[in-house]
Formats: sequence, structure tokens, C-alpha cells
Amino acid sequence: MSGVNYQHLYVIMETQDDKLVPVSLEMLGKARELMDSFNKKYQLNEKVVAILLGHNIKEVCDTLIEYGADIVVYADSQELKDYRNNIYTKVISQIAQDEKIATQVSPKSKFKKPRYMFFAADSIGRHLSSTVLVALDSGLASDINKLEINDIPLTHQHKTDGKPIMYEKTLEMYRPDFSGFLWTTILCLDNKNPQIERDYHPQACSIIPGVFEPIISHKEQKGQIIEYTPIFDQHDLRVKILNRKVIKSEVDFDSYKTVVSFGRGIKDAPEQNMKLVEQLAKVLNAEIGVSLPISKKPFVVNENMSSKYMISDRVIGTSGRKISPMLYVAVGISGAMQHVVGMQDSRFVVAINPDENSPIKDECDVFIKGRMEDVIPKLVEEIKKSLVVNA
Amino acid sequence: MSDLNIAVIIKLEPDFSEGNVSYNPDGTLNRTETKNTLGPHSAIAAHAAFYAKVMYGAKISIGTMGPPIADSALQMAQRICDADELHLYSDRIFAGADTLATAEVLKTGIEKMQGKIDIVFSGHRASDGETGQTGPQTGWKLGFTFLGNVIDYKVNLQERTIRAKRMVRLQGFNDVVEEIEAPLPVFISIDPAYKANFNTISQRLSFEKYKKEAKIRSDNYKHYLKVFNAQQLGVDLKFVGLPGSPTIVYKVERIPKGKATRQAEILDGSNPEDLRKAVAKMKEALSAMVIK
Repeated sequence: MSGVNYQHLYVIMETQDDKLVPVSLEMLGKARELMDSFNKKYQLNEKVVAILLGHNIKEVCDTLIEYGADIVVYADSQELKDYRNNIYTKVISQIAQDEKIATQVSPKSKFKKPRYMFFAADSIGRHLSSTVLVALDSGLASDINKLEINDIPLTHQHKTDGKPIMYEKTLEMYRPDFSGFLWTTILCLDNKNPQIERDYHPQACSIIPGVFEPIISHKEQKGQIIEYTPIFDQHDLRVKILNRKVIKSEVDFDSYKTVVSFGRGIKDAPEQNMKLVEQLAKVLNAEIGVSLPISKKPFVVNENMSSKYMISDRVIGTSGRKISPMLYVAVGISGAMQHVVGMQDSRFVVAINPDENSPIKDECDVFIKGRMEDVIPKLVEEIKKSLVVNA
Repeated sequence: MSDLNIAVIIKLEPDFSEGNVSYNPDGTLNRTETKNTLGPHSAIAAHAAFYAKVMYGAKISIGTMGPPIADSALQMAQRICDADELHLYSDRIFAGADTLATAEVLKTGIEKMQGKIDIVFSGHRASDGETGQTGPQTGWKLGFTFLGNVIDYKVNLQERTIRAKRMVRLQGFNDVVEEIEAPLPVFISIDPAYKANFNTISQRLSFEKYKKEAKIRSDNYKHYLKVFNAQQLGVDLKFVGLPGSPTIVYKVERIPKGKATRQAEILDGSNPEDLRKAVAKMKEALSAMVIK
């Protein structure tokens, strides 16, 4: 199990109608940063390899070089125009294990599999990462928002048979849990225990959109572009996309200048408090959002309000939408990082919360201290008055 | 013998509803105090399977991996979809499995279900783990075509194909509804937005009939239950539980408070003057010039 069996960081690009989805460049930015310090630290020359599948996508390859890829491996085919899980999974795992590609990526040292792999944590990438990693028979951490590469000393009952072993060049994958308060670090490690010895590479994860920044593009950046000609299984091609329709989401944050969101702080009187939030949204002409826990319907309210508001379509944050309204009003929201990622680009943020120590205080411009039951009715009156004065 | 064999994989999860869920003072889930129930996404998967029972008279098997008490989740799911067979894969060896090792158990279990399975349903994701990986990974291990985010489906029994609508949500873009056709067998992870519709009188009649049967069966669910340990399942111990898990949880920590991104002005919610100030600030923000 010498290190040379595994090399490089493969980043799976995502496109929609032949255009890159923003998270693709965000992943490349993080990959560039990680591999630059990796190569410096270990005195190596491992690459950031972007994998691009689609049809008429050749022009995109140059963009990927500009945004931090050393190498782009692309497969261009009518059959790859739209994502089909079975076909994409096979093509990506072929590329990841292809000997010819390995020779082209690093001519001197042929490697067997990528060392690391990144996917987007969205509707496509979540499923694609799952199936590709089964095909490659390795581990996957999902919805990651922090990454580091370190040498990790470990003593583990199963992994090391209770003996201390140094795991070199290990990707530490940080994942915020569903509450948004805990960070779990996940590692994907070879079993070095002789009884259950196994290679687990690549170390792979899916990355939350909107977390990392793309690097500033360099037009003069040089890189290598490699074409891969995939082999399709005729049975797989029987899976056919009959039609695709673009629809506006029922909840339309983009059409409103203001978004009012509520969280678990409604708990003392859920139904009445949701009505208060409705009133506030009405006078502000705002769309209504919720924090992730609300979408799990933690409170019993009438069916109408439950199915209108306690739904995933309204979630702001890493498990939902990322928005940037002119005005964002967070009502009874503590400000877990999960949520903050979704609203931090708002122009102006107001929080209504009784607890001055809740994290949302550091994410808002105006913090109105008080219980929503007391504050909202008065605030609504003030807003109405100010509208009258204006008229 | 039915023309269509359906499997549903489900999970016993923490019950996030009020009165059942318990949070620690720091906002994290108190697992010992929190009750368990059939996961809400698992319930939707069971509803999707029931649709096949009503429309096509499908035979339904439900499988879950978990501790012995997970049989309660099987009972709840049976009550939704009138399952003909319940599988519980339960062994201490399975504990601590990551998604790859869980998928290995579920795949082996599904292959032991009655009849050749045509469609497997799973929920979108578990509400505690939230990875959404186990479904697609089980599907791939079975060698089935994977269809995610399915909101609607119809089966063509003669041609052995399925037509499904999928909801694709991509950040910063509009949603896309995609209609896809695939030969059976398929593995479907069902979208939270799924809702079954029974339009004709005869569909509603069979709906009522199976609903009644589901109640009777689930009251007597142990009659339909088969429990398998690792040996009975015949799994390779290297591929399940902790030995079969590539990933480990290395550490769990509180997410440190980030640097304040904004400097908040603190206003007193009970002071009318302060509230007027807040309103003035909000108005100012809304009237600010937007230069694009």
C-alpha cells in the first residue's frame, strides 16, 4: 500500500444547460488552496484534476484551468448532455480508474485511483457521489463545509487493531450536524488491521454550495486538457429523459426585497407566533422563510399552516436556499451556522430574539432584544405608522 | 403471484415532534431523552409503495437495519403500505456501520425478499443522519438503475418499464422537473414533495380495501416479521458494521462561534423609541440604491 497507488485530487464539475453551476468553481478554489499547501508540505507535485461531463462543453475546459485546475479530463457526448445517474456514475468511475488517463495525468508515476475526490452537495452531486463511491468501493462524507489535510496518529480497534498508526495525508472532512451546532470530523481510512485489511481510497466528500470561494481567475494560467471517450453500456442507454421543464419554485424568494424567517423561537405558542410572523411579512411585503428544524414539523399547528410553512422549500441555509434580499428579518432564530450560510449575503439584517448571547447577534445589523410575542405587534404598528407618514 | 414486487427500506429515527424531542441546553439533540419513530421520509417511501399496491396490486416487502426495537418502525410502515413481508436485520456486528456498510446489509436483505424485486423505495434522507447516501448506495450494489427525487411514477407492466418525474433543485437556478423512463428494476429515492393521487372510483375502492387490510395486518405485524442476524443473512463480516465502514467519526466538537460578520446595534424591543429607530433603519435599507 505505497502512497503512489493514490495521487491527485479529482473534482467533479457540474453544469446545467452547458453552463457551470457556481459550486463547481467554489470546489476548484478550495481544491487549489488545499493542493498548493499539500505540495509544499510534502514536497510533491500532485494535481487538481477537474472532471467534466456533458455535450458541447469544450469551451468550459479553459475556464476550469483559469479557476485553478491543473488538468481537465472531459467527456463530450450527446449521451452526457443531461445527468443520468447510472451513466454518469460509470463514466466517472471509468475515468477515475483508467490507466491511460493516469499515464497522461502523471507520466512518471502511474497511480491506481485518485487520492481525494470532491462532489457538489446538491440534487445531482449528493446522489452521484454516493453511487460513484460504491462503484469505487470507498468512503464518502456528505455536506462538508471545512477541509484540512493532516497526518493523523490513530489507535483504533478496527482500523489499526488497537495499535498506534500514523495516517499520512488524511483529509479531515468537517460536517455540520442537523442542529447546526455540532461539527463532526469524518475520516476515510484504510483498514490497516491485518485481519480486515482493505484500501479505502479515494477519500471523498460532497461540498455544500456557497461555502468556499472561487479563486480569482488567471487568463494566462496554463493547464492540460485531456479528452476521454467513454464506453456506454447499451442497457444503461435505455434510461431515457423524455422531457425537462424549468419551473419557478412555489416559494419565490427572488421576487421579494424582504424575507422574514422564523425558527424554533416560536415554540411557546407556535400557531399564534406563526400568525405574528405572517403579519410582519405582510406589512413588509416579504416572503417567509424558515430554519431547518422547522421543516421537520416540530410543533403541532393547524394543517393549513403546517403544509404552507413547515416545508423544506422554505428552508434558508445549507440544507435549503441561499438568498440575498435587501432586508432579512430573523425571528426566533438562534443563528446556527447552517442557517447563516443561507442568509449572510443579505444587505441588511434585523434579528428579533430575547437572548443577546445567541449567535445571530453577530450576524445582524440591528438586534431587537425581546420576545417575538411582545415585539412583533408593536413593530407592525410602527411600520404601519411609518407607511402612513410616507404616503 | 403478483406481477410487481416492491421493496421499501426504512429507518427508525429520533422523533422531532414537540413533546417527543428533547434538546440539550446547548441546542444539540438529547438522544437518550428523545423518543424514536418511523422516519418521516421513510413514511413517504411507504406511501409511494402503497400507491403500487393500489394501482397494480403489488406485493410489498419492507426492510430495515437496526436494533430489535426497530420492529416498531416496520409496524408503522406496514400500516401505511399494507406490506406482505417485514424484514429486520439486527445484529450487534452491524452497529456503527457507515452508509457503505449499511448498504451492504440492505442489499443482501433485499435479495432475500420474496419474489424478484422490481422497484425499491427509500426515503430522501434520514432526519438524524441526513446524508441521503444509503439509498443510492444500496441501489448501486443491487445493480438497479437509481432515480432520485422522484415525485410521481407510473409502471408499464407489459413492457416492464417505469416512467418517473424527478424534481431537481440546483442552487441559484430554477427547479427542473424531469420525466424519465427506465427499464425495471429501479431503485427510487422518493422526494419529500411526493403525494399519491387516486382519481377513479375503482382506485379509491382498492385504496379503502388495502387500507383496511393494512390495519389488520399491522395490528398483528409479528406474524409477517422475519428477523435476520449477520449469519442468517449470510453477509461477509468484513463488509458490514465497523470493519466494512471506510469512514469513521474522528471527533465531534461544538462549532466555534465565528468572527462577528456584522456589528449589531442592540435595541430594546419594549422601548417604542427603539422600535421606531429599527423601522427607520429597515426603511433606509430598503430604499438604498442598488447599483448593478
